[in-house]
Amino acid sequence: MTATTTPPLVKRLTGIGWVRSNLFPNVWSSILTILLLPVLLYSGYRAGLFLLVNAEWEAVERNLTLFMQGTFPRDQQWRLVAQLPLFALALGAGLGTASSSAQDRAIEAGLPHERTSPIGIVRRFWSVIGFVLVLLYFASTANPWFVVLGSVLAFLLGFQIRGLPARFRLYGWSLMSLLLVAGFQVVSGTTGRAWLVTAIVVGIGAWTLTGSERIVPGWRTWALKTGAVIVTSVLVFLLYSVITDPGVGWDKWSGLHLTLWVSALAIILSFPFGLIMALARRSGLPALRLLATTYIELIRGVPLIALLFMGQYVALFFLPAGSSLSSISRAIAVFTLFTAAYVAEIVRGGLQSLPPGQTEAGQALGLTPPSVIRLIVLPQALRAVIPAMVGQFISLFKDTSLLSILAIFEFFNVRSLVHGQPDFRVVAHAETLVFVAVGYWAVAFAMSRESQRLEGRLRVGAA
Amino acid sequence: MNDESTQQVYADATKAKGDAIIELEGVDKFFGDFQALKDINMAVGRQEVVVVIGPSGSGKSTLIRCINHLETHERGRIVVDGIELSEDIRNIQEVRRETGMVFQSFNLFPHLTVLDNVTLAPRQVRNMAKADAEELAMKQLTRVKIPEQARKYPGQLSGGQQQRVAIARALAMQPKVMLFDEPTSALDPEMIKEVLDVMVELAEGGMTMIVVTHEMSFARAVANRVVFMADGEIVEVGTPEHFFTNPEEDRTKLFLSQIL
Repeated sequence: MTATTTPPLVKRLTGIGWVRSNLFPNVWSSILTILLLPVLLYSGYRAGLFLLVNAEWEAVERNLTLFMQGTFPRDQQWRLVAQLPLFALALGAGLGTASSSAQDRAIEAGLPHERTSPIGIVRRFWSVIGFVLVLLYFASTANPWFVVLGSVLAFLLGFQIRGLPARFRLYGWSLMSLLLVAGFQVVSGTTGRAWLVTAIVVGIGAWTLTGSERIVPGWRTWALKTGAVIVTSVLVFLLYSVITDPGVGWDKWSGLHLTLWVSALAIILSFPFGLIMALARRSGLPALRLLATTYIELIRGVPLIALLFMGQYVALFFLPAGSSLSSISRAIAVFTLFTAAYVAEIVRGGLQSLPPGQTEAGQALGLTPPSVIRLIVLPQALRAVIPAMVGQFISLFKDTSLLSILAIFEFFNVRSLVHGQPDFRVVAHAETLVFVAVGYWAVAFAMSRESQRLEGRLRVGAA
Repeated sequence: MNDESTQQVYADATKAKGDAIIELEGVDKFFGDFQALKDINMAVGRQEVVVVIGPSGSGKSTLIRCINHLETHERGRIVVDGIELSEDIRNIQEVRRETGMVFQSFNLFPHLTVLDNVTLAPRQVRNMAKADAEELAMKQLTRVKIPEQARKYPGQLSGGQQQRVAIARALAMQPKVMLFDEPTSALDPEMIKEVLDVMVELAEGGMTMIVVTHEMSFARAVANRVVFMADGEIVEVGTPEHFFTNPEEDRTKLFLSQIL
């Protein structure tokens, strides 16, 4: 490897050479080109004509706020405005931590690694950033500009965690989780069981950060960790009994805001549930196996739309009397249960793809069966199924538009509000459709790109 | 070895040199209707090196995989360092902690660096602190002569290097017995030597080893006893010089004539 090597010569074609080798390399391709080219050019021309010249974007311009936050109480709008920079800060901290630790690992293993830069991030998320720019273009006041600017600054601030020494980076993930919870509760309030969510996040942080490797492990470490969790939980509980902000519950959320939250929660919840189902289906206990198989096959045999209706109406018979789950909570539950069944099958595929020698090697070393699964089987099986799993999550994200049949005004269904307005009752239906479609596409495409990136990164060294 | 009676006793598979660390008594193993092991009686003494040879399908691999319970035997007793293998998972774990195993296909964990491959079991099973486990791992990697590869992933290494990492990974558990299941069969010829060299050093260092291999040079040079198996049975046992120069059974002669 130390010897100097000349890179292979890559023939770069320009102009006529490119046209000849790509469009007219042989008779059949030439015929295809001659047939398809006019069709493509003409439809491109018509699309451009519609988007740039003929379309009336007034329906989108005047209802931009409606598309973003739907029927969210307007006097509480500051909550949403506060949420964005908090999330940007969290995202920055998370990406900064991820990129710096990935870089450390690559350097240790002597592998090439590209340093994440703000420009690299723009390239990764260009579809989402492009959509935000479209939104800003439609904005009629300067306020959205301030929100976006504030969020960008918050992101860059959070990203600075990358520059800190490695021992501070340990705190990056905890900081990110805490900011995400804060962002959520700025909107949803701090009453009810909000303290529990915060206590869990803070508790996990306290558990991982206290008594690290440098202290000799033993009962002292466990006592220290348990103590830290208890103390922080009590502190959180006391804090939340002082700050009692009612907030705006998610039964009042709508628009893109709701779409993103429903998708994110269903994705986060369905993953562990699907994982457990996949392991249960391969378990040695016949009862457990039967239960998991029945669940998976039942859910996969019923259309999502039927399950969503069942969640609204049939679930009443199963829930204890007097329980008042909002229809949004039920919808999130249905999306979670539905996606979990598919995730379970995807993960099972990954588990089967692993050579038996891996498990045997773990067993031969004396690892317990749960350790073999946790440390050897799952990390490899999950890597193998990232593309399929992200595909399932993209489906879930788009399927949240089905909430419109339950009279929930998520992003897609905001259209029916817009076209209920006298000015837009019959006009601009195509324009709002295009706008909503671009919104979904921007997020779905970013998810797809991130999955490809992750796949490429994790394949490194695992050849 | 010059003692006539020792030689005689020693050619018996059930008698070990010194006190036995591994004992098998009347072990039977079935795969469905196929009997893979037939009434295996064998003992291995401390610091003894036993090489198991035989045609493919003769049950050599199954034999050593029974010793750390990767395969379940249906009849008979297997005792490792005073622990009898039973269905009790704690028993099995205990035996596995004392026996290291090296596989034909290496079976390194591709998602972990070399160092993490080696420290995984000491940290998880022996509850060692990270720093201690890494120190131990580096010692073992130095022993197999690849400390400089510690931060790499298995996929970046050659076959011979991977197998040496696999040996270091097993050694890091400081086992009392090492089982080798055709450790050089998946290697290119030029890499076989580097792995055999490590195994020879290990044997010279006093490790108890059971080695399934086709490397007759290794058997000649290192083995205290050679066990020849065919059709799930132990056909003949002897010291290497006895075994290679003066085999008694026809099956052994046939096998040796085919491979030598």
